[in-house]
Amino acid sequence: MIRFGLRLSTRGGRESLTRIVVMALAVSVGVAMLLLTLGTINGLGKQNARGAWMSTRPSNEVGFSNFGPPPRASSTPSNASPTWWYVGTDQFENQIIARIDVAATGAHSLVPPGIPHLPGPGQFYASPALAELLRTTPARDLGDRFGGAEIGTIGASALPSPNDLIIVIGQSAHTLSRITGAGTITSFATSSNSGGPDTSGTTGLQIVLGVLALVLLFPVLVFIGAAMRLSAARREQRFAAIRLAGATMRQVSVVATIEALVAAIPGVVLGFGLYFATEPALVHVPFSGQPLESGDLRIGLINVLVVVIGVPLAAAVVARLALRRVQVSPLGVTRRVTPRPPRAYRVIPLVTGIAELAYFVSIGRPASAGGQIQAYLLGFFLIMVGLVLAGPWLTMQGSKFMAQRTSRVSLLLAGRRLSDNPRGAFRAISGLILAIFVTSVSVGVISTILTDHGATSSTTLASKTVTDQFAFSRFGDVSKVPASVITTLRTIPGVTGVTTVYVAPKGLKTDGAITDINGLGGSVQYGLVSCAQLASTPALGRCHPGAIYAALGDDVAFMPVTKSVTIAASTIWPSAQFSNGLNRLPVQLVAVATNGSLSSIEYVETVLDRAFPFEGSTSLFGEVNPNAGQLLKELQTSSEVIILASLLIAGCSLAVAMAAGVSERRRPFSLLRLSGAPLGVLQRVVALETAGPLLVIAIASALIGFLASYLFLKSQLGLTLRPPGLTYYLIVVSGLVGALSMIASTMPLLDRVTRPEDARTE
Amino acid sequence: MSLITSPSNVATKDVLIEARDVEFDFGQTPALRGANVSIGQGEILAVMGPSGSGKSTLLHCLAGILVPKHGEIRLSGERIDNFAENRRGALRRDTFGFVFQFGQLVPELTAEENVALPLLLNGMRRNDALGRAREWFSRLGIEGMERRRSGELSGGQAQRVALARGLVAHPKVLFADEPTGSLDSLTGELVMELLVTAAREDGTTVVLVTHEPRVAAYADREVIVRDGRVTSLTPEPAP
Repeated sequence: MIRFGLRLSTRGGRESLTRIVVMALAVSVGVAMLLLTLGTINGLGKQNARGAWMSTRPSNEVGFSNFGPPPRASSTPSNASPTWWYVGTDQFENQIIARIDVAATGAHSLVPPGIPHLPGPGQFYASPALAELLRTTPARDLGDRFGGAEIGTIGASALPSPNDLIIVIGQSAHTLSRITGAGTITSFATSSNSGGPDTSGTTGLQIVLGVLALVLLFPVLVFIGAAMRLSAARREQRFAAIRLAGATMRQVSVVATIEALVAAIPGVVLGFGLYFATEPALVHVPFSGQPLESGDLRIGLINVLVVVIGVPLAAAVVARLALRRVQVSPLGVTRRVTPRPPRAYRVIPLVTGIAELAYFVSIGRPASAGGQIQAYLLGFFLIMVGLVLAGPWLTMQGSKFMAQRTSRVSLLLAGRRLSDNPRGAFRAISGLILAIFVTSVSVGVISTILTDHGATSSTTLASKTVTDQFAFSRFGDVSKVPASVITTLRTIPGVTGVTTVYVAPKGLKTDGAITDINGLGGSVQYGLVSCAQLASTPALGRCHPGAIYAALGDDVAFMPVTKSVTIAASTIWPSAQFSNGLNRLPVQLVAVATNGSLSSIEYVETVLDRAFPFEGSTSLFGEVNPNAGQLLKELQTSSEVIILASLLIAGCSLAVAMAAGVSERRRPFSLLRLSGAPLGVLQRVVALETAGPLLVIAIASALIGFLASYLFLKSQLGLTLRPPGLTYYLIVVSGLVGALSMIASTMPLLDRVTRPEDARTE
Repeated sequence: MSLITSPSNVATKDVLIEARDVEFDFGQTPALRGANVSIGQGEILAVMGPSGSGKSTLLHCLAGILVPKHGEIRLSGERIDNFAENRRGALRRDTFGFVFQFGQLVPELTAEENVALPLLLNGMRRNDALGRAREWFSRLGIEGMERRRSGELSGGQAQRVALARGLVAHPKVLFADEPTGSLDSLTGELVMELLVTAAREDGTTVVLVTHEPRVAAYADREVIVRDGRVTSLTPEPAP
């Protein structure tokens, strides 16, 4: 029977050959997409692994006691001498610079990857991108922050991405041994999840990106399934003829399996070819916000085996399952009675999920972090399951509504077709619904947080004010800001004011409650500021008229995480009764107001970095936490890339489904056309059958995603959903246009297979 | 009686549709070699012939589906074979009706929606089109089948639905290609009786392709297609 199946598949004439070629091509596109998705997941892992060394934390950090989990490093045993190690971050024109200060403790001290030996005091290695930046930027804006001489560039093996800005600066062991947070290490972390500081902006991001990339797998697998069902109807007719000749159903199953394999195996081979052809171009896609290295998308042996074995196996299973849906009798193939329509109970999980999230809006979020995770995960899970379950029911209801009311033939035909088999219609886009939902939630939440932070605005006061904050750092407060630093800052062109915020003494008397915008309570340090200085940095707020000192809330001291910094600017802080000298207090924050020019901002940051190389964290006031902002932006980029990719993949699935549908209805369509139905009517029918659900589902899942993110933001963070930026809409529209173009590209097939002159009427 | 049908011996005022010296081939295989036939207004013409003789090809040429390589097709004296496909499509939609052997019903639509299709294609409102379609169900003896799908109809019922669809827009000419080919003889006769009665009532011209003499007997006149040429067996319409 196997030989017979092979003969039947390969020697069935031109039609049979065409069918195999079309199926093999469709499978190859699916396999290529699958390999690229797996490659992307791998690539992110490799990117993560390359930057893991920067996540290494010393086991004996100087003065470390209050922040984070106990440090850990050392997943690679080493016999090398310990190396003094200190990791910090800097920022230049919205780009994060990872700064690693090192010092040798012996002749064989541990050397970070990518450099031949440890730099000595006054020397540094820079990543190629940073080295280029140092060459092209005035020293006062950037180079002076680090000092010393560049003795080489960091090799690609140590860079998560070619564009990463990283510097390894040599110090003396004596210097680093006095720095809070520094310590010795004897080996490097191999994963950036080891709890170290997020110097490269990849910690955590990789995990989330991995999850997002997994979301892409659904539409890809749906596409492969659609490709394998191509020509199923034509195959079934032939199987009836074989049954008529005396074959049993079991023998027909074998033939069906062989036929599927004959198409799937060359499809897999072609798919690998397509993957290797497109992989070099895909490394430039900034999936994590940064391009990948050449070769990052290479897949491993396990991936290869999964695809090589899994896809043909899946093809065989799909072929057999497809046979189960039809009765192949010797007298012909009859589809089983119209499938049972989906029931209304399918919407219950969706409604429950939305109701659960809404419930927490009304009663407030659960008190504990664990309770919050459980509550929101359950809500999102219910919505995701609900979307997939409710999709066919909603498709049926919508199409029935359309078909029962329209006078247009195209709407009638498409509506009836969709309501007749809503599960089949929904199958082609079921992968899309999850991808769009997940990414819309992510874009909705991220856009709101970014907008709330004011990070995207370049015109606010906050975005013109540079701060160097010490309270939030691991190092404690700075005891004093040298007068020379203040003087230098004031002389920088473009600087309009400098304010030093001090740690308020315990028991400070104020004439009113200190505004607690973030609701963090009284467990934080409040700031004390001279009103004369505060007036020169309006981004931080104002004093009451006539006040000499003011007490600042934690929103300034701690840098707000969720509340708008613009609130700080409009806040009138309570007056403080203070008579001792401010200079005796430790410094919490230095704020420098500028005219907003890049040159003045970078110059100010350079002066502050040089003055406090190991203390504090310099950033724009609007950029609450440079690393967090960078992380969120990267996540947003990834979400947008996934939206685009999933729409294009769904377009491929729909194009294949449409080709299959046209082929299945070749006779009634060609006879309709023969009877005078214009080609345009038939084109509209198939377009509505495919593009209609695509558009409706894409819009519906995006709206439900935004609704879910609105409910989450409202209950968890007390924020109101902000619409995403123009880029999001452009990407969604581009994806939809791409998907519709793919569907449109199959229209010539409709014309070709339904030509009246080719119709058989007898 | 002349055995060869010639346009010249048919009264022009009675002729609705005619083929003059029509030639058509499928690549190397000639199908029609100078076929001539004239069909009068309201006439029912049976086109007979053995398999592969070219009778379906002749029907397709007359209906504007195929364009002859040589010769002319005229409708009410106007040449239609040189129309562009769009115009021929409009002609098929507005002026002609069709009934085929099987598979012409759209499986997803109900029987009444299938019948209403030509009216909807001509822009009629849904309720009006369905109302007009329903009239045909009682006329053709298939009341109660309106909401059924084609898969839920017997062969005879499906052909009657197809017949209703072919006639619902009151075409000038109904082209029927082996309309009883997939039916048993009793059902076939019932369908033919309904077809002929309906056509007579509406004054519709019918071109009926069949290889069954019993079916051809319902026609006013029979022609035979043999080797791509038309031979008349019964007298043509009188001048």
